[in-house]
Amino acid sequence: MPITAPSSRALAPLLRGLGLTLPLALLAGLVGCSGSGGDGGPTASTGGPTTSQGPGKEPTVEELGGRRDALVIAELSDADSLLYAVSQSASDAALIANLNMDNFEATFDCSLKYEPAFYESWTWDDTHTILKVKLREGVSWSDGKPVTAHDLKFTYDLVADPVVASPRQSMLEKMVPGKAPLVIDDYNVEFHYQKAYNTATMLQHAGLAPSPKHVLESADRASLRGNDFHKNPTTTGPWRIDKWEPDSRIVLVPNEKFSGPKGMTPRLNRIIFKIIPEYATRLVELESGAIDLMTAILPTDAARLKKSNPELSFYRRGWRSSDYIAWNNFDSADYKAQKETAKENLDWSKVKRHPIFGDVATRRALTKAIDIDKLIKDLLTTDDGEVYGRRAVSTVTPALCDTHNNDITLIPLNVAEAKAELEAQGWKDTNNDGVLDRDGKPFRFTLLTNSGNARRNKAAVIVQDNLKAIGVDMQIEQVESNTFFERLRKKDYEAALSGWSASLAPDMNPMWHSGEKYEFNFTGYSNPQVDQLIADALEEPDDAKSNAMLKEAQRLIYEDQPYTFLYWMDEIVAVHSRFKDVRVDILSQYRRMDAWWVPANEVKYPQ
Amino acid sequence: MFTYTLKKLAMALPLLWGVITLIFFLIELSPGDATDRFFTPETPPEVRQAITEKWGLDKPAVTRYGIMMVNLLQGDFGRSISQERPVFDIVLDALPNTLVLSLLSLVVINLVGVVLGIIQAARQYSALDGGLSVLSLFFYSMPGFWLALVLQLVFGLWWPVLPTSGMIDPVMHDFMTPSQQTWDKLAHLVLPSIALGVSSAASVARYMRSSLLEVIRQDYIRTAKAKGLPEYVVVLKHALRNALLPIITILGMQLPFLVSGAVLVESIFAWPGMGRLIVQAIFSQDTPLIIACFFILTMLVVVGNLVADLLYAVVDPRIRFE
Repeated sequence: MPITAPSSRALAPLLRGLGLTLPLALLAGLVGCSGSGGDGGPTASTGGPTTSQGPGKEPTVEELGGRRDALVIAELSDADSLLYAVSQSASDAALIANLNMDNFEATFDCSLKYEPAFYESWTWDDTHTILKVKLREGVSWSDGKPVTAHDLKFTYDLVADPVVASPRQSMLEKMVPGKAPLVIDDYNVEFHYQKAYNTATMLQHAGLAPSPKHVLESADRASLRGNDFHKNPTTTGPWRIDKWEPDSRIVLVPNEKFSGPKGMTPRLNRIIFKIIPEYATRLVELESGAIDLMTAILPTDAARLKKSNPELSFYRRGWRSSDYIAWNNFDSADYKAQKETAKENLDWSKVKRHPIFGDVATRRALTKAIDIDKLIKDLLTTDDGEVYGRRAVSTVTPALCDTHNNDITLIPLNVAEAKAELEAQGWKDTNNDGVLDRDGKPFRFTLLTNSGNARRNKAAVIVQDNLKAIGVDMQIEQVESNTFFERLRKKDYEAALSGWSASLAPDMNPMWHSGEKYEFNFTGYSNPQVDQLIADALEEPDDAKSNAMLKEAQRLIYEDQPYTFLYWMDEIVAVHSRFKDVRVDILSQYRRMDAWWVPANEVKYPQ
Repeated sequence: MFTYTLKKLAMALPLLWGVITLIFFLIELSPGDATDRFFTPETPPEVRQAITEKWGLDKPAVTRYGIMMVNLLQGDFGRSISQERPVFDIVLDALPNTLVLSLLSLVVINLVGVVLGIIQAARQYSALDGGLSVLSLFFYSMPGFWLALVLQLVFGLWWPVLPTSGMIDPVMHDFMTPSQQTWDKLAHLVLPSIALGVSSAASVARYMRSSLLEVIRQDYIRTAKAKGLPEYVVVLKHALRNALLPIITILGMQLPFLVSGAVLVESIFAWPGMGRLIVQAIFSQDTPLIIACFFILTMLVVVGNLVADLLYAVVDPRIRFE
C-alpha cells in the first residue's frame, strides 16, 4: 500500500509505525538487501546517534575463536513470505536478504551502486537494451543443489504469472516477454529490455534473487505465500530458518552449507525475531534488555533512552520518509462523476478544477502561511536539541544527492504575504467573522488524515492554527488508514496530510505523471512539461542527463505546489552496543547480519 | 439433557447465519479490499485486474456472499487472502493460545471473585468489606489496556520479575529442561491473564457479595444458624450453592467476553492468539479470515451459554432440562 502510515506490513502489514504504509517501501526493501555504506549519518545534531560502522573490518570467525551470542530483534509483525516473488514488506526483504545471496551487492552513496554478488559480472550491448549477466558458479542451495540460470528464469516466470499475484510484476514491465531473462546456458543469462531506460532502473529490475526451481516447480502457484516451503525454506545465504512460530518468533541459525564468500560466514550463534506489535511493549522490552534491536524509535524516546540506557547505541537511517499536505486540484464530485463514465480514459483536462486548490497562487499562499520549521521543531526535535527532520522540497529523498534538487528556493514563511496574495485572489473577510470569503463563500475546507498517527495528528493541529491566522478555516477529519488511502486514490478529499517512503531508484512517474494510469498522483497534478521530463528521465541511460531532468521536474512541481512539502524524517534504530560492525542504514533497518559480532567478554547468551 | 443440548445448538444456526451475513456486508461497506496490499504505484492496471480476479473480488458482493455461504455449509472457510493459507489452519494456530489464556483468566476471575465476594458478604459493612469494595470498583473501572501497560512497567521494568511479552522466552526456551519450559510458559501467562481477568474478577466479587447477602437473609439460613452450625458451614455449605446461580449466568458470558477482550491484551502482550488475529484480519480486510474469527467468537457465545445452562442443573437440582 502506498502512503506512510503505521506500518503496514500490509495495509496490514502495513499501517503501523509511521502512519500509513508507503508504497515505495517495497522497492526500498527490494534493493535494501545487502551492501554497505549509506546515508545514516547525523545531519543536524551534536552528540546524536552514531552511524553504522563500515564494512570489512570485522574479525573472521576463526579470529573470534568461534561463533557466539544471540541477537534479538523486535519486529512489529510476522514475516509475510520468504519468497521475493511474493513478499510484501521491507522487513520481509531484510529477512530474505539474510537468508539468500543477492544478485547484486547493493551499496548506497548518493545513489544506489551495484557490486557483484551472485551476478559475477555483467555487460551491456551497444543499444543498452540487453544486459548480459554471468552468474557465479559454485553457489548451492541449502540442500546441496547448484544455483543456476534456470532458477533465475523460474523466479521471473513465477513473478510474471498473474495467478501468483506478485507485487514485483512491474519488474518485468520493461522487459521483452520471453526474454526476461533469456537463458543462454547454466551460468549465463540475458535480460532483454523493450528499450534503453535509466541504468539504475534496468539493473534494479534484474535484481530478483533466484528461488529454487527444483523445490517449487510443482507448487500450487495460487498459494505460494502459504506453501510449506516457508516452514523449512531452501536458501543460498549465510543464515537458515531454524524455527518459525507464527506471530511469535523466527529463529535464524548459521547455514552450515553456505557456499558463498568466506567473509559472509556468520559470527553470531542465532538471530531471533520476536514479534511484538505494540510500540510501548517494544520500548519496555528494549529498556529491560529483553530485546537487542528496535526500529522506528520516536525522537523523544530516543533522547530519554540515551540517558537511561547507556548500553544502547543509536543509529540514524537517513531521509527515507516524508510527510506532505496534498491539495486536490480537482473538484472531487466532478472527478467522481466523470470517472464513472470515462473509466480509464478520463481526460483530466476536462475535469472541473477545485474552486480553491485548483489555483497555483492560492496553494503557494497557503504554503507561505504554514510554519514548517515549527513543525520540525515541535515534532522532530528532542528537548536536547537533536533534530530528526529537515524541510522537504520534493518526493525525491535528499539522500539521493545527485538527483535531489538542492537549489530550489524555499517558499518562506510570510503570513503578511500570504494574506496579501489571497486578497489578490479575491479572498477578503467581508462579514468580519474572522474567515475569508469570496463570492459569498467562506474559505473553509477539510484536511483529511489517518487516525492512529500521533505525529500527523499533531501536525494537522499546528497547520490548522497557522491557517487560522490568515483567515482560513480548516477542519480536520481523521479516518481509518484503509479508508484514508482509498479516498486519496479516488481523489475524494479536499486536502490531505499524508506521507511517502522514498524509493532509492527514483522514478517520479507514479506520483507526478498525469493521467488515470497514475492513480498515485493523488492531487490530479498535471503539467505537460513535468510529464515529458519524468518520462524522458526514465528512458535516459545517462545518469547525469536523467538527474538533470528530474531536478528540473522537482523545481517545476515545487513552483506549482500541488503538495505543501513538509519534512523528511530520520528513522532511529537502537542496537545494544555489545554488537560490533552493525549495519543499519538507508538501505535497510538491519543488513548483512553475518558481519555483526560480539567481543568475548560482552557475550550475553553463550548458548 | 442431550436433546436440550442439540436443541440449543440448532438454535445457534440462525444466529451464526445472521452474524456472518452482517459481518460480510459490513466489510463490503468499508472502502478498499484485501488485495490493496499487493499494489504499489508501479503495479500495472492489468496486474491489478488479474489479482482482483484471482480472489474473485471482481464479482458482485451478492455473488461472493452466495459462494461463501455454499462453501461454509460444506465446512470450507476458504483461504486467507493475506496469508494464502487455509483459514482453518490459521485459526487453529491461534485458537489454542487464546483458549489457554482465557481459561486461565476464567479460573482466576471466578476463584478470586467468589472468594472476595464471600469475605465481603460475611463481613458486611466492616472495614475489610469497605476496602475490598473500593478496590473492586477501582479495578472494575480500569481499562484493561491501561492496566496491561502499567503491569508491564511495574513488573517488566521497575521490578523486573516477570516477562512482558510473548508466550516463551525467545532466546532461552530452547535450552531449558521440560520443567523449566513449563515454568517459562506459566510465567508468561501471569501478566496477560491478570490484565484480562482483573476487571471481571472485580465484577464477580460484586455480584457474589450481593447474591450471598440476599441468600443469607433467607429463613433456611436463619434456621441453620439457629441450630448452632458454625458460620463457615452456614455460608459455604448452605448459602454458597444458591448464591452461585447468578455467578454461573455471568460465567456463560465471560468466555466470549474474554476472547474479545483479548484483542487488546494480546496485542499489548504480543500473545499470538485470536485477538491479534482478528486485528490483523480486519486491518488487511481479509474477509475469509474475519468471517472465520467471528464464527469462532459466536460459537464461544453459544457454548458459553450452553455450559452455563448445564451448570444450573448441577448447582440447583430443581432445574431439569425437558
